Amino acid sequence: MRQALEGSQAIARAVALCRPQVVAAYPITPQTHIVENIAKLVADAQFQCEFVSVESEFSAASVVLGAACAGSRAYTASASQGIMLMSEVLYNIAGLRVPLVLTCANRAVSAPINIWNDQQDSMAVRDAGWLQLYCADNQEAVDTTIQAFRIAERCELPVMVCVDGFTLTHTLEPLELPSQEAVDAFLPPYAFSRALDPRAPLSLGTLVGPDYFTESRYLHHQAVLAAENEIIAAARDWSSISGRTSAPLIRIDGSDEATVGILTLGSVFGTLLDARDHYGGAPVKILHLRAFRPFPVEALRAATKGLSDLIVLERAISPGADGIVAAEVRSALMDADAPPRVHNFAAGLGGRDVPLTIYPRLLEAIGKPQPRMIPIDLDRDQWPAAADAQ
Amino acid sequence: MPIMTPGAFAYPGTSLAFKTGGWRTARPVHRWVPAPCHAGCPAGEDPCGYVGLVAEGNIKGAWERLVASNPLPAVTGRVCDHPCESACHRGSYDSPIAIHNVERWLGDEAAREAWEYPLPPLPAGAKTVAVVGAGPGGLSCAYHLRRLGIKATVIDRLPLAGGTLRTALPGYRLPREVLDRELERLMATVSFLPHTSLGRDVALEELLHDYAAVFLAPGRQQPHAWDVDGRVPRDLHAALPLLEEWVAFGKVPEIHSAVVVGGGNSAIDMARVLARTGAKVHLVTHDVRPAPGVPRAVAMKAAPRDIQQAEEEGVVLHLEHAIHHLILRGEKVVGVELVRVKKLARDDGHYEIVPFEGTETVLHVDQVIPAVGQKVAPEGMESLLAARGFFAVDDAGRIPGHDGLFAGGDARVGAWGTVSGAVGDGRRAALAIEAYLSGQPHGLERHPEPIQFSGLNLNYFEHAPRGEEVLLPPDGRVGTAEIAAGLSGQEVALEVARCLSCGTCMACDNCWTVCPDQAVLKMQSPAGMRYLTDYDYCKGCGLCAHECPVGFIAMVEESS
Amino acid sequence: MLRTQQPRFQGLDPGHRACQGCGQALAARLTLEAAGPDILLANATGCLEVFTTAWPESAWRVPYLHSVFANAAAVAAGMEAALKAQGKDVKVIALAGDGGTFDIGFQALSGMLERGHDVLFVCYDNEAYMNTGVQRSGSTPHAASTTTSPAGVARMGKRHLKKDILAIIAAHHIPYAATASVAYPADLRKKVRRALQVAGPSFLQVHSPCPLGWGHGSELSIEIARLAVQTGLFPLIELERGALVGAMPIRQIHPVTDYLKPQSRFRHLFAGDPRAREELAHLQALADHNIEAYGLRGEMPDGLDSEGADTVRRGGLRSA
Repeated sequence: MRQALEGSQAIARAVALCRPQVVAAYPITPQTHIVENIAKLVADAQFQCEFVSVESEFSAASVVLGAACAGSRAYTASASQGIMLMSEVLYNIAGLRVPLVLTCANRAVSAPINIWNDQQDSMAVRDAGWLQLYCADNQEAVDTTIQAFRIAERCELPVMVCVDGFTLTHTLEPLELPSQEAVDAFLPPYAFSRALDPRAPLSLGTLVGPDYFTESRYLHHQAVLAAENEIIAAARDWSSISGRTSAPLIRIDGSDEATVGILTLGSVFGTLLDARDHYGGAPVKILHLRAFRPFPVEALRAATKGLSDLIVLERAISPGADGIVAAEVRSALMDADAPPRVHNFAAGLGGRDVPLTIYPRLLEAIGKPQPRMIPIDLDRDQWPAAADAQ
Repeated sequence: MPIMTPGAFAYPGTSLAFKTGGWRTARPVHRWVPAPCHAGCPAGEDPCGYVGLVAEGNIKGAWERLVASNPLPAVTGRVCDHPCESACHRGSYDSPIAIHNVERWLGDEAAREAWEYPLPPLPAGAKTVAVVGAGPGGLSCAYHLRRLGIKATVIDRLPLAGGTLRTALPGYRLPREVLDRELERLMATVSFLPHTSLGRDVALEELLHDYAAVFLAPGRQQPHAWDVDGRVPRDLHAALPLLEEWVAFGKVPEIHSAVVVGGGNSAIDMARVLARTGAKVHLVTHDVRPAPGVPRAVAMKAAPRDIQQAEEEGVVLHLEHAIHHLILRGEKVVGVELVRVKKLARDDGHYEIVPFEGTETVLHVDQVIPAVGQKVAPEGMESLLAARGFFAVDDAGRIPGHDGLFAGGDARVGAWGTVSGAVGDGRRAALAIEAYLSGQPHGLERHPEPIQFSGLNLNYFEHAPRGEEVLLPPDGRVGTAEIAAGLSGQEVALEVARCLSCGTCMACDNCWTVCPDQAVLKMQSPAGMRYLTDYDYCKGCGLCAHECPVGFIAMVEESS
Repeated sequence: MLRTQQPRFQGLDPGHRACQGCGQALAARLTLEAAGPDILLANATGCLEVFTTAWPESAWRVPYLHSVFANAAAVAAGMEAALKAQGKDVKVIALAGDGGTFDIGFQALSGMLERGHDVLFVCYDNEAYMNTGVQRSGSTPHAASTTTSPAGVARMGKRHLKKDILAIIAAHHIPYAATASVAYPADLRKKVRRALQVAGPSFLQVHSPCPLGWGHGSELSIEIARLAVQTGLFPLIELERGALVGAMPIRQIHPVTDYLKPQSRFRHLFAGDPRAREELAHLQALADHNIEAYGLRGEMPDGLDSEGADTVRRGGLRSA
């Protein structure tokens, strides 16, 4: 049934449909509406779970870790500083190969403090060993949340569902919320092969010395790579139940005749589609990188085949090393046959609006040599002149 | 090679594959260190052992353990001066275990239950040894020979066995029926020839010819000559014959007031017997009261308990005094002049009795009764006696230069002069005789050092009062009524629970409890070793040894 | 096999790599004996975790999860929430050292207590960061020398006081909180059982000597722990809802020097430095204060006082 819901509310209802037994969270803007909605569902007896209001994100991650290991499906959500604070535990959860789902309501990271949307937070923990799936709109957020639990539990890996803060979380959109029956048909009850059980008492979280550490890390790496199959399978199976197509790794919009592509992650995808419609012109292929971890090398090569130029528009920077996504895209395409030239721009940092007008500016930039990433929406009027001299 | 697991999980208890025993530089070992009571018992008893068995409820086992060294526990439990209790480490903590009461109770239980000595069958062709003297030394030797599979024939000049136990021990200390009961069991294990005096009825040479070996335990029957500056009262009675008269017939010549000279058991008993007849009795001795820390040489030989009871019964003690002068009217005593003395150690270790001028006092008495000891009646063995009239033997009871001849008990040089001492002599001689008969070399019994008080960990014990037996009130002590009532079974149970089990594992579980490595394993068997150290994992930290309450565990350096 | 037939629950097997005489290993073993098999463990990073779980081996025979240093209480809270949701009657125990309790793990602990999770949090208090090489923690006693509070010409060891963690825990008004010591195993096990009986959070602080970090012989771990109790420096107390409900009386109060002298971390207090006298007096005053504040002076011998509580009996009837 199609209905207009705020993104956070839709995500909360999707989570509830997945029947996690334990939800732990600490409030942080812009994640708050998600957990508030879950708390309300619990309070209204529409959803049965242990809702643990912890004293920090560090504990939120720890509580869901404990719960998942003790045999319960568990969920948490956070953003920004919260992701930073839980980062130690995020690495730990992944290394322990614990199936969990976390919604990251993407937000800038301090300092300067800023509560609005970019993707610096999830990018900062890209090496934690989690799967990362980015959502272009709230329907995708709902569908991805549901798929994430199955992917996590089949792969024994945690999944971070990245949803742009405010832009998606606080925006009312018409979307379809699946029925409980549909979700139950897709998602079997929680099972974790290493769940703590007095009858089969395993030890999790051991000390691994130099003799074995490489094997342990590489096994983890392989598991993340292999998760691609489960991401594809989940998208396929959920499509057959929900009747909605959903691109598993990369969402592609545009004709195969296009020689220019723009790749982004998250809600900017929709902006770019609108801009392309608005401005028209030569065909441009717009790509949304849904799966950032595992990084879909083959899918990317296929999606960019025949392009002469690929613009990577991203919403985080790695100071001193350009854009994070572009670097990975370049690296993935380097060995491809006739790879496109990769251009790298940042936009919309700290919640700055990404307007339609960005589209022609991006296309203009292709012609100019621009080897290093720049924020395409940099406001020259407020820029200290002295900084250029440095 | 182990195969990496997802998330590097591990299976339970797999650390057992990692043997930490290799870290050890010292290992805990169980050691059996004698308890001080064991080391302190002249009879060779191990009170710590049988007290422990009583505590475990194994009463018969305890008695069997006890009679493995001493066949007469009901007797010694009553009459021994129990040096075991003086040695008992519990005395340094609160008060010693009432070992004598445990021993006595076991002896009485055995009589009540009619338990038999656990003896092996006699082998075919068992040899026979002659034992001269049916006192505690001779009987002990005969009994221990029997335990070793050797027959014994005991000869004695008297019609009944028992020696001084029967002739000189008053019934109030050792009721006749207790003695009879215990001797009856013992005499069933040996042959006895009564009315047989060495020298008169049989010659030593005959014994040596007829028997495989001879053990001489004739005791001391002949009182030492006694005088003061060469003067002896005409009607002088020595203590022993008087005592024997009272023990045998229940009366003595009428004496109004007397001074008994000496500090041994005979002196005390003499004094108490006279006090029972209504006499005013003084006891004069060079010695002091026995107490922990008082050298044996300067302490009265009588047991503290008997000394105290004598006082309760009206005997006036004059400790560290000597008779300086006899006051005679004609040849009859009318009084004595006492002087204070002190036994002072000389450089050579011997003690010298030094009188102090100006400390003289006078006692008006009509009898002086010396109880200053006896010597061996030499008939039939004159050639064997050393210079001072005793047998000079080695620690195993062998008379040097006389193969096949052994001696012990009161008749030897340096005798304990106690029942338990004689019992011990008999046991050691039996072992030496066995070795002699089988042609084996026989080393002297080794006496390992008992465990030190500091070797115990007293943190694990709680103070508890010593069980005190009920005594007849002094005015109820008439005739041969036994004074000490002993402890009841229940009281004995409380008493044995006080034992610190010095040097002997008491299965308290402490080592099992404190090992951080579960390297101490508890054994399931009720007897024998209670714990096993698993050296695969023991790191040698020493906690079990340090925390062992009884000092049973020692750390021994690992040889590299 | 004898090892598998021991008449007690064995939750922590040998082959672990704890140092000789490790108080923490002993405390953990005793804790598990009392707790039994139906538990889940959450362990903070620290010696206990390191010495028990060198992959591919584990010394544990109970379900065990080590996550990170600071989050044992939160992980345990998550386990408890899960078990509650599943309707399972399995107890959850969090294990941490003093660093994981007093310092880095404190926030998560406080949160877990505040939320009322049915979790027993056991702190093995060895009074410094031993795993990393004896650095001072919030639990390190005043004047103790550690590698980050070394005694030297200008300093007499740690300048600050040992944090009164139990008072802070008590302020959470939880059903049960207590201190225990490896020197009193029966008392320790009793307290573990009591803590697991109560519904809601409980806390146990177990004094666990570290021979290496404290500088005493490995055979002295229990002796030293006992002296900590007998001097009044480590009172054994029980609190219910923050109120004192039990204290082990000290029958024979020892001077603090009996406790301090055998440990090299206090060696500088006995080197004739005039400031040492003041520090010793300070430590004695702290002990006296404890004795006063908790009423530790035994009026008469008591089977459960500092002398009576650890007695043994022939045949091993010491309560297990």
